[in-house]
Amino acid sequence: MALNLEFTMNNETYRHSLNGHEVVMHSHHYLALITKMVEDLTDLGGPEILSDVTEETIITILNDYFQKHSLNDTEERLRAGEDYFSTFGLGRMYVSGGADGGDVRLTSSHLDEGWTMKWGPHDRPVNHLARGFISAIFSAAFNKPAKSYGTTETASIITGAPESTFIVTAL
Amino acid sequence: MTVMRDTAVKALAKVQVQSDENGLIPEYEVLVNLLPVKLLNAFSERIMAAAPPERKAEVESGLVRAAYECGYHTGCGIITSDIFNDVVMPMVTEDEKDILRGAYAAFTAWGWAKSGIVQLKPAEKMIIRALDYYEADSGGEGLRGYMLRGLSQAFFDLAYAETYPDGMDTYVCHQTKGIEVGDPHGEFVVVKK
Repeated sequence: MALNLEFTMNNETYRHSLNGHEVVMHSHHYLALITKMVEDLTDLGGPEILSDVTEETIITILNDYFQKHSLNDTEERLRAGEDYFSTFGLGRMYVSGGADGGDVRLTSSHLDEGWTMKWGPHDRPVNHLARGFISAIFSAAFNKPAKSYGTTETASIITGAPESTFIVTAL
Repeated sequence: MTVMRDTAVKALAKVQVQSDENGLIPEYEVLVNLLPVKLLNAFSERIMAAAPPERKAEVESGLVRAAYECGYHTGCGIITSDIFNDVVMPMVTEDEKDILRGAYAAFTAWGWAKSGIVQLKPAEKMIIRALDYYEADSGGEGLRGYMLRGLSQAFFDLAYAETYPDGMDTYVCHQTKGIEVGDPHGEFVVVKK
């Protein structure tokens, strides 16, 4: 089932929206630098801040979509989450699992490929945005609030692995 | 003929990016993403709030830097893109000045900031006025137009500094007014570093 996409623009401000939520274009340079910044600010909780704001924002967007399109089947909800990830240009995601958690693979990744283009490979996974996005998909799919799932990146394209992998656990 | 802003904005606003079979958006010589404004604003607000007073300048600098490098590299891709060549370049008669006018038409059309140049001294100074920019919606304290600061600095570097990619960090942008602090518009001033 393909995602229903409605792109609109406010004729006064020229702000753009996707399915009623404002979105804006940036490049891999931006996301790579934001990610590097939160890595450098680990003592301030940088990685978790990026993951948390992503989770909170994406849950709202997914819940809104599920409601508007009467999407009640959890498998369809997981597929919609994958499709949103791609629509945002963040890569190709494959989600499997249930209410207790699951596994996620990225066969391509905007952040990892962007970081590698900019600085070369890295020694550890850093896709905090994807972690938050994945937690949001599970929470929204299973009608739970934010922070119901913990997501850990266990392998990463940025380190030279062919795919990034994540384990999702119900908290 | 100089760049006719309304014509450029309307034409550029029609541009839509779409992900490929890998869920990626390769455009303008970079990988593009399309992120929710609320995510970006919440991130800026929360990371600034997490910083103690003595480290706020460091975090602010990081936010501006991310926008600057994004703007410098993507900006080069934009002003050499087919769409910019088709829409803006035919109206360019004043070289760098018109390219900058075209760039702010693109900033407006693509929802970064409804903004334009109000004063320009070539290679010396530029003042930008923004009537709307998404960061004006962010929570927090003080002037928070990190993105537009970085982008304005980047495009002035592209216009007047050494040829890409050797002209980085020649100019700097300061925000002097902000909708987010109650001013009627945002104001951004670019000068030599």
